[in-house]
Amino acid sequence: MAEVSLKHIYKVYPNGTKAVNDFNMEIKDKEFIVFVGPSGCGKSTTLRMIAGLEDISAGELKIGDLIVNDVEPKDRDIAMVFQNYALYPHMTVYENIAFGLRLRKLPKDEIHKRVTEAAEILGITEYLGKKPKEMSGGQRQRVALGRAIVREPKVMLLDEPLSNLDAKLRTQMRAEISKLHSKLQTTFVYVTHDQVEAMTMGTRIVVMKNGFVQQIDTPKNLYNYPENKFVAGFIGTPQMNFFEGTLLKSGENVVINFDNSEAEITVPYSMLYKTKPSYLDGKTKVYIGLRPEDISLASDDVKNGKAVIKVSVSHKEELGSETLIYGDINLNGDGYVESSTRIIIKDNCEREINAGDLIDVALNLDKVHIFDAETEASVLPRIPEYNYLDCEVKGGKLGFLGTELVLPEAVKCADLKGELLIPTDAITFDGNIKAEVAACENINGVNLLALMLGGKRLYAVAPSLIGDKTVNIGVDLKKITIISNGENVVSPMPEINRFDCTFEKRKTVEKVEANGKVKNKKTAIFGFNVAGAFFKSSDDASQKIFAALGIKKAFSAPLKLECGVCDLHFTDSGIAAVAEETLDYGKEKFLKCKVGENTVYVKTETEYNGNVYLLPDFEKIGVVETEREIKII
Amino acid sequence: MEKKKLRSKKGAERATRILIYAVLIVISIIWLIPFLLLIIQSFNGNAGGGYGNSIFPEVWTFDNYVKLFTETDFPKWYGNTLLVSVVVTVFQTAIVLVTSYALSRLRFKMRKPLMNLMLILGMFPGFLSMTAVYFVLKEIHLTANPLGLILVYSASSAMQYYICKGFFDTIPKSLDEAARIDGASRQQILWKVILPLAKPIIIYTVLTAFIAPWGEYMFASLIMRGDTSMYTVAAGMKEIFLSQGNEYKYFTVFCAAAVVVSIPITVLFIWLQRYYVEGITGGSVKG
Repeated sequence: MAEVSLKHIYKVYPNGTKAVNDFNMEIKDKEFIVFVGPSGCGKSTTLRMIAGLEDISAGELKIGDLIVNDVEPKDRDIAMVFQNYALYPHMTVYENIAFGLRLRKLPKDEIHKRVTEAAEILGITEYLGKKPKEMSGGQRQRVALGRAIVREPKVMLLDEPLSNLDAKLRTQMRAEISKLHSKLQTTFVYVTHDQVEAMTMGTRIVVMKNGFVQQIDTPKNLYNYPENKFVAGFIGTPQMNFFEGTLLKSGENVVINFDNSEAEITVPYSMLYKTKPSYLDGKTKVYIGLRPEDISLASDDVKNGKAVIKVSVSHKEELGSETLIYGDINLNGDGYVESSTRIIIKDNCEREINAGDLIDVALNLDKVHIFDAETEASVLPRIPEYNYLDCEVKGGKLGFLGTELVLPEAVKCADLKGELLIPTDAITFDGNIKAEVAACENINGVNLLALMLGGKRLYAVAPSLIGDKTVNIGVDLKKITIISNGENVVSPMPEINRFDCTFEKRKTVEKVEANGKVKNKKTAIFGFNVAGAFFKSSDDASQKIFAALGIKKAFSAPLKLECGVCDLHFTDSGIAAVAEETLDYGKEKFLKCKVGENTVYVKTETEYNGNVYLLPDFEKIGVVETEREIKII
Repeated sequence: MEKKKLRSKKGAERATRILIYAVLIVISIIWLIPFLLLIIQSFNGNAGGGYGNSIFPEVWTFDNYVKLFTETDFPKWYGNTLLVSVVVTVFQTAIVLVTSYALSRLRFKMRKPLMNLMLILGMFPGFLSMTAVYFVLKEIHLTANPLGLILVYSASSAMQYYICKGFFDTIPKSLDEAARIDGASRQQILWKVILPLAKPIIIYTVLTAFIAPWGEYMFASLIMRGDTSMYTVAAGMKEIFLSQGNEYKYFTVFCAAAVVVSIPITVLFIWLQRYYVEGITGGSVKG
């Protein structure tokens, strides 16, 4: 019964390859988490790090309330099931299951009780006296499961446990493992490369690729709201169709043009409210994604459909209950090769379709996904990062969506017309702008509010769900960006300060009295050197740095010390900085300073000139190794 | 041509098999003849009589064996050899197993260079260092002492790691990992998981570790020099029975001694060979 918390977990091999990159996740008690991804994506490595079979290069792993980075596997209270079962061949099934309990010196009757219980749950009672080699694959995997469950672990780890079984047995064992999970009420972490296993078993799924987490969400959300093209293509069989194309806004509609094809469809702009306006210029390349099941051949759909396109059929795959039709929206194209115009349609209508036919298909536009052609990220994020608005600055006042805000000293600029970027989390609920609440939804714990202001939409992240019809809002001006003629006139203030620093060892000499004699006792202390100022690091922090970089590299690697703007304070002697200017945001004032080459910001009450000394709050600092970009603390 | 073509597959197979067996029978006869002669001569009543004369003795007798055990130092040598071999076997097996396990499972700095170094050093014949070893042993008063011989034989045991390590490498690492998660320490993994699976290779190690000192002549004759009662069988038989002038007197006794010497090895092999036959890793992991 335990939560598992992974914070900035990295696995870096001595040659510099990063197998796992900045893995962050909070696994709740009793959850069934599935890590899924193509081979080499780091999913097994992550699981093995949780198990303790693999060292953690950097980051913090907690099981329950305990940090277990340096805890032996046997003391982590976990059990693991391996892909190749890893049964002890010279022991009987009973001895295999009892092995861990015997090593833990449990009383004999207790061991017997637990083994027979586990055997009953898994239906292997009659095999208890047999050796593993006399058993089939499915039975062996049951024994391996039995060996794990008798230990009554806090966390069950399963590393592709079904990969060696045949298809029918796999389906059966899938259900049995799910049943086991609901029976045992423990946290399960399950690794697989099979997306069907992931979708059917997980309460939440972690999709990984090349060591990076792509998305963590429930199976339903992964299917409906993939955050990028990779997740969209990985989840669902046959995979999602991707077409290259462009979007062009015209009035209240958006026209989707497909490359290399005559096809063109129109969708209402309301579907693309959350999209950055620059995607709607008719030039920016995007991927248009649509699942095979969201394309219909039914005559009713085609007759009444708003988005009907022509497809030339190249071949089909008969699956019995349904037929997969392969074709091309480029009427001269070849549906055999995966291309930006190839289309796969899942069809269950009775109409006979043959290769070479030219057919009309109706696209279900509610289910369309659009991805950036370069970053492959969804351009329809569930929680948009910014509101993109037109604005005008006139006489020190910022006008947007029919309202005006007086610009404080720090963001004052000349009169202009341009674009205003307001992050969704920069809308505050203490201002005096009245806005209508159009919708309010909770997306994975974040309350997203759609507001109507001046006849346009404005998205805001709210601290709680809001039931009122209108709210009073304000804008946190230190987070906004104003762009005019392609140039940033006003840039947001960074929320985190970064200092170049190194990790150092210093010797101190203490005078110690022992047996009436005064002796010099030398001790070594470790700390950070930030622009000449030395700060002793906590033992915990030093250990993390040594663990991540090794003894030699710890003292030579270039590091960055990260510290929130609000966690930096003035002192009498600390990091020497030169005050450059005071930024007055009205309610708050910040001092912009230079430390060596780094520009940092400090919250201030009074104005400063010349030299100031700064002290970061060492409880809240972060440390990043810049060469390989590893967040150590 | 046509006949050849028509010949059935079965017939072809049988012909090949007959050929193979014929060759094998000839080879085994060639191999067995010296040993048979040795046994026959050990029963020859003419002391040294068989030396160049008839193959079959005119008088059959057990006297050679009686003489061997009553009139010569042979029983003493036999005891010495047994002591040295058994102790060396225990040491060498233990050292080889732990070395192989460490080299197979642990990853440490200089592991590869160390393995290469051991392999290369092992290629030099042991007698290169003979003189030096003798003087070192003399300094610490271990010449003409079975302890010295045990030390010399056991010292380079770790170099025999490669066959055993190769076997350990075939035991899946996930077994170690499963045991680690089950709560086993490194020693427990070696004792309770790896060694029970490594029976064939343990037998192999025991046999080679026993046979080598049992028949070794060069170091034994050098280190035990000066005290004939301390000789091992190999050294004793060569130095005493076959020394100049004695070969006629002792030839049949020598043959009897050879037969007696071969007994423990034969027994050991027959006893252990059933473990030798097949590995028992089947069923541990997907195979």
